[in-house]
Amino acid sequence: MRRFFPCLPSLMIHVFSFHDTYYLYDTGSGSLHLCDEKTARYFSGEPVTLTEEELAQIAELERQGLLNAPETQARPIKSNEMKALCLHVSHDCNLRCRYCFADEGAYHSVREVMNFQTAKAAIDFLLEQSGKRRVLEVDFFGGEPLMNLDVVKKTVYYAKEEGAKRGKKFLFTTTTNGLLLDDETIRFFNEEMENVVLSLDGRKEIHDAVRKTVNGRGSFDAVIEKVKKFVRARGDKHYYVRGTFTAKNLDFSKDVLFLADNGFDSISLEPVVTEIPDLQIKEEHLPAIAKEYETLCEEYVRREAEGKGFLFFHFQIDLEGGPCLAKRVSACGAGNEYFSVVPNGDIYPCHQFAGDKDFRMGNVFEGKIDPVLRAKFASSCLFTRKKCGDCFAKFICSGGCSANNYHYCGDIDEPYPMTCAMMKKRIECAMHVLAERKAREKTQKN
Amino acid sequence: MIKTIAKPAEKKTTGCGECRSTCQSACKTSCTVGNQSCERVTREQKIEERK
Repeated sequence: MRRFFPCLPSLMIHVFSFHDTYYLYDTGSGSLHLCDEKTARYFSGEPVTLTEEELAQIAELERQGLLNAPETQARPIKSNEMKALCLHVSHDCNLRCRYCFADEGAYHSVREVMNFQTAKAAIDFLLEQSGKRRVLEVDFFGGEPLMNLDVVKKTVYYAKEEGAKRGKKFLFTTTTNGLLLDDETIRFFNEEMENVVLSLDGRKEIHDAVRKTVNGRGSFDAVIEKVKKFVRARGDKHYYVRGTFTAKNLDFSKDVLFLADNGFDSISLEPVVTEIPDLQIKEEHLPAIAKEYETLCEEYVRREAEGKGFLFFHFQIDLEGGPCLAKRVSACGAGNEYFSVVPNGDIYPCHQFAGDKDFRMGNVFEGKIDPVLRAKFASSCLFTRKKCGDCFAKFICSGGCSANNYHYCGDIDEPYPMTCAMMKKRIECAMHVLAERKAREKTQKN
Repeated sequence: MIKTIAKPAEKKTTGCGECRSTCQSACKTSCTVGNQSCERVTREQKIEERK
């Protein structure tokens, strides 16, 4: 017997499709389901008729807590333990990338590098503020950190030595444009860096149009072989080739695939965050961007099925494991567990606030952090981001990037709709990738 | 027809804070907590694998 059983659109269940494949994502439980078109329409609130059997299946999934599940109450992690520092060892850069959020390395101030005394004070500060936390993270950032490699090395050795005395382990990351990579630096990175992020935008003409040398020439030819050499020597240690896409390359899937075709198997490509008129991502670009993520997703799945897969940062999602709910509601941690330190020792909530005097939180030589600003960032979490309340992606993105929210909407708790739209599309693609992978694994088992 | 693709595993621990800082990842602009892992669970799995 079939009967009419209308269902109101649920805020708890996100219905989406990838071409002819339909999915239900249950926000409350974090479960992902595959369904047919009729069921998708039913959960979208359309007046479709389901059979008794279909309704019974829905009821059973609800009983198991996998559909229409209530959200579990979670409290954000609120600790005063400092976990990580982004150390701006160089507020100078040997490139002049047009879209640089950091004012081509100068951060709207003078070009300078951090001296070892300041880096040392920053490490001491992190150690003092880290409480019982055993694993600490330091990210060497710029500008271009390799312009101050000597201080990077000294800081690594100092942190390891001091950390060992206190039973703490440091994980180091460097973000570099690769221009100064040489054999010795590669050796040092492979010995000491847990992760290395290398900036490369993709196709030569795309890269060269925005990533310019000081003399205004494209930098692609100067970096590509160095980055390739680094990755060959990297072995199985972590790295990311990280690019930026702009309004000039809305066909950015070609850039991701170009990077993959050039032997890079760990790739991230991010939308530009600065407001340069001809580069800025605008609302009218969103349909093209969504379509491009789908194009990339299709090819990603195809390559993975052929055993030629690579890792795209935003297509990774762990619905079965992943972080706990407390972490998922705690936002990014900037300004509370994660801070940036600029060359003069001033402390900011993160690298994207560096140089903004309204967000100066102290100085590593003062040994304390502005309690009012810290409290503001510490209290920021998914629940203070009111607009995220009815969003299916909230337990995956945690309300997004505080700096992005502030720079576009004037409030760290106000999500920027453009960023949200791209994030949601990437999450849907990531879920499709996961579903395809699971289906493949099941077929292989059988 | 509904087929469950993925559901969260039961977690032994929540809110321990051992996880890495969210921003210490590749993007530096588009934090996605959901693609991170739980440090404690990962560590426990490694210990199990060694046994």
